[in-house]
Amino acid sequence: MNVDLCVGCGACAEKCPGKFDDTYNAGLIKRTAIYVEYPQAVPLKYGINPDVCLKLTKDKCGNCQDVCPANAIDYTQTEETITINAGSIIFSPGFTAFNPSKFDNYNYAGFPNVVTSMEFERILSATGPTMGHVTTFPGLPLKPKKKKDKLLAEKRKDPKKIAWFQCVGSRDINKCDNPYCSSVCCMYAVKEAIIAKEHAGGDLDCSIFYMDMRTPGKDFEKYYQNAKEKHGINFIRSKVHSVTQNPDTNDLDIRYVDEMGQIIDDTYDMIVLSVGLEISEETKDLAQKLGIDLTPGGFCKTGSFEPVTSSRDGIFVSGVFNNPKDIPESVLDASAAASAAGDALSRARDTLTLELEKAKEINVAGERPRIGAFICDCGSNIKGVVDCEAVTQYARTLPYVEFADEAMYACSQDAQNKMVEYIKEKKLNRIVVAACTPKTHEPLFQETLSNAGLNKYLFEMTNIRNHNSWVHKNNPDIATQKAKDLVRMAVAKAALAEPLKEEKIDVNDSVVVIGGGLAGMASAKSLATQGYKTHIIEKKEKLGGEAHKLYKTAQGEDVQTHLDELIKEIEQNENITVHCNTSLESVDGFVGNFKSTLKTNGKELDLEYGVAVLATGAKAFVPDEYEYGKDDRIITSLDLDKMFKENDAGLDAINSAVFIQCVGSRQPDRPYCSRVCCTHSIDNAIELKERKPDMDVFIIYRDIRTYGEKELLYKKARELGVIFFRYDVDQKPEVSIKNDKLLIELIDHVLNQPIQIEADLLTLATAIVPRKDEKLANFFKVPLNDEGFFVEKHAKLGPAEFATDGVFLAGSGHYPKPVNEAITQGRASASRALTLLAKKDNLFTSGVVASADPLKCSECGVCVSICPYSAPGFMTDGRFEGKARVNAVLCKGCGLCVASCRSGALHLRGFDTSQIFSQIFALGEVV
Amino acid sequence: MADNDIKIVSFLCNWCSYGAADLAGVSRLEYPADIRVIRIPCSGRMSPKFILSALREGADAVWVSG
Repeated sequence: MNVDLCVGCGACAEKCPGKFDDTYNAGLIKRTAIYVEYPQAVPLKYGINPDVCLKLTKDKCGNCQDVCPANAIDYTQTEETITINAGSIIFSPGFTAFNPSKFDNYNYAGFPNVVTSMEFERILSATGPTMGHVTTFPGLPLKPKKKKDKLLAEKRKDPKKIAWFQCVGSRDINKCDNPYCSSVCCMYAVKEAIIAKEHAGGDLDCSIFYMDMRTPGKDFEKYYQNAKEKHGINFIRSKVHSVTQNPDTNDLDIRYVDEMGQIIDDTYDMIVLSVGLEISEETKDLAQKLGIDLTPGGFCKTGSFEPVTSSRDGIFVSGVFNNPKDIPESVLDASAAASAAGDALSRARDTLTLELEKAKEINVAGERPRIGAFICDCGSNIKGVVDCEAVTQYARTLPYVEFADEAMYACSQDAQNKMVEYIKEKKLNRIVVAACTPKTHEPLFQETLSNAGLNKYLFEMTNIRNHNSWVHKNNPDIATQKAKDLVRMAVAKAALAEPLKEEKIDVNDSVVVIGGGLAGMASAKSLATQGYKTHIIEKKEKLGGEAHKLYKTAQGEDVQTHLDELIKEIEQNENITVHCNTSLESVDGFVGNFKSTLKTNGKELDLEYGVAVLATGAKAFVPDEYEYGKDDRIITSLDLDKMFKENDAGLDAINSAVFIQCVGSRQPDRPYCSRVCCTHSIDNAIELKERKPDMDVFIIYRDIRTYGEKELLYKKARELGVIFFRYDVDQKPEVSIKNDKLLIELIDHVLNQPIQIEADLLTLATAIVPRKDEKLANFFKVPLNDEGFFVEKHAKLGPAEFATDGVFLAGSGHYPKPVNEAITQGRASASRALTLLAKKDNLFTSGVVASADPLKCSECGVCVSICPYSAPGFMTDGRFEGKARVNAVLCKGCGLCVASCRSGALHLRGFDTSQIFSQIFALGEVV
Repeated sequence: MADNDIKIVSFLCNWCSYGAADLAGVSRLEYPADIRVIRIPCSGRMSPKFILSALREGADAVWVSG
């Protein structure tokens, strides 16, 4: 397939007889040998699977070449070896889902209604094989042809009861060799259950069978609680022993032991196996070739202090290959890997940059509109349905249209060249293209306008393919009429188009990092390494933050040694200025141009900078229960770390140590999981056991949340003899001191009997609470959530930045996190900041921004209060003092202010009120 | 606008619904041809005046999606 020629029309796939498993749809359906990976693929280009293509395997067929209107099919292509010289490599090979076929007790291979979670994702998807309709026998074709399939299809029904089985291929060394936790399955199972209920209506019964419910991510715990309370999902703490199938109905009978030890039999219509994440053998081989070390689970070995750096110099890693993780963490990893790869190459920055030459812009101000309309056939994609010739003829009759032409492919290079010629020859000053979607093709045509010397905003595109020929293919007359309407509307709008200016943004390329903890230091170190002047503002007397209180990481590294090294590097870095004992007194300005006053020991200092990283961290909650503060033997996790660090002699005298988990976390007043405490307590329990093997160590917990390979610590703790007791939040353990004895009472979840433990040491795994710094949030106009954590730009895709341009986020101020994750996010925030800083001389606003007419402005302030990006403000001096003005740098062009302006003073360039009205009026015209 | 046809004027947010309409095309879904899409940069751009104007111009319904 010649991807430069392919226009993504899909004519080839319609005629292709070859079939193979559609991996995008988890193999539930087949796809043709010539295929597009998935419908949303960008660019939308087809490819051929050479293993099933009849032409390539048997030299038969050749249909695709016959029907391809763009001559894009090339059967002679062979595998090419391409050599790229690179200074750094980012290795991000991803995972494969665990294949549960080998589990005979669930009989995934044999029972059609036992599906994997990946299959269920596709069943729920609107672009999946059932278009989001949840149904049994999802693997059968919608209209089966084989007799056997037809018989089964008769039993197809909308399920009334679905069960999810957790930890299939995870936390299991009995049936498979994956001792780790896959980190993501609990959340996706909860999500699938909620969506299934939404799709099916109220009467679907969803049950999740689990060992520990692991929802330690940001806002995940609330999601889990909502699933229980609002959506009525059943959570059953049990590992199901086996599944059998009713031979008549194909319903699934299961048998399990509930928490009270009762054997329960139940029947479900469908069972979803929540399969874990695995590193494929292929990836392991490649890793071996690259010479990077792997963990026992097959993941990349990385250290907590350089969490995206592999054992091989110059190779950086991200994603699930760097331990099981979800989307936001993968995104953070990716940004962090970019920062690490960039650090290594900072000296070579900008050495391979080429300048693009631009045509001089023609001044069209005051000219009568001379519109050129180009109607695209898109091969037969549009022309096969719409009478493009008639549409072109019609376009010629419209007001201001000087020229109209039909193009077989308007986006092809020769059509683009012709367009430039027509613009020059016919002196066109506005262009309308009726073709596919502006979301993918607008930039291409705008570039053509620029090449012809026209301002790129003198352009309007209308979609007569995706919104017309493709969806009305059985109604060519109506589609042609609709295309005419759409062209008329576009022409009306284009006539009112004005050349728009993209303002240059001056970027001050120094950086302020607020907070000198691990995340802040990691961010500053990367930015400084890449050549940017960085200021760290720390309110305490020294760098390091809460990490000073930690003993070891989950991977066993000594925190203090590494921390001291990092602080030394920061202090010695010429590009970093550290301001300790310093507070931030004010923030003015916006992206590229911030101004602040700092106060250090009473002395004030003004600072100008372009971007800010907020890494203010979080702190340990001071417990208000379990008799904390009344006895020296009751301490917090950080106190125990201190004892370890100081090798406290008191440790030797302990014969019985108890940990209580979730102190202050996962309860109504603090409804989030603090993420680090399970691992921390288990780590400390192991330390105690290793120091004194005959010590009795108990961990009293609600769910053990040792996600990823931290699960191995949990396993190790059990092997060392640490005893785990579970409690419910409404039946918390009780701590008392009687006759100088420290007693902990709880209901044992196995025996369902009260038990009492006498302890020499009680460690409370306290919550991590945010600093809730409203002053700082207001300074930078960034939001805090209900608990006081900063709200990032996007929970999944923008975890290290804010919606406010130029302000970035790292560390536990975002959400509690362990050392490696704090450093990852520190690096990620640096990487995101670099995307702005690197464009220093090349950063422009969009032309599509709001502007205010001061003569019409009534100073009501609605625009100022309503804008989510703080773009409008009041002028503070001059003739129009008090009137609104929009800062084009901050404006995202959403038009919220324009719609809200009661005086009609605000305009959105490119989508002005008059332009939208012109489209509406054009629609109203009788054809 | 011909009198005997139903006409729905739809104002679609560029970032979500407009993209969804694109995807409907890529997926070759079929739907009645009664809608005319006006692309807006965000549903926040939507003004009641647009709705009133569309109805006055003969639209049978207005659909704002974002």
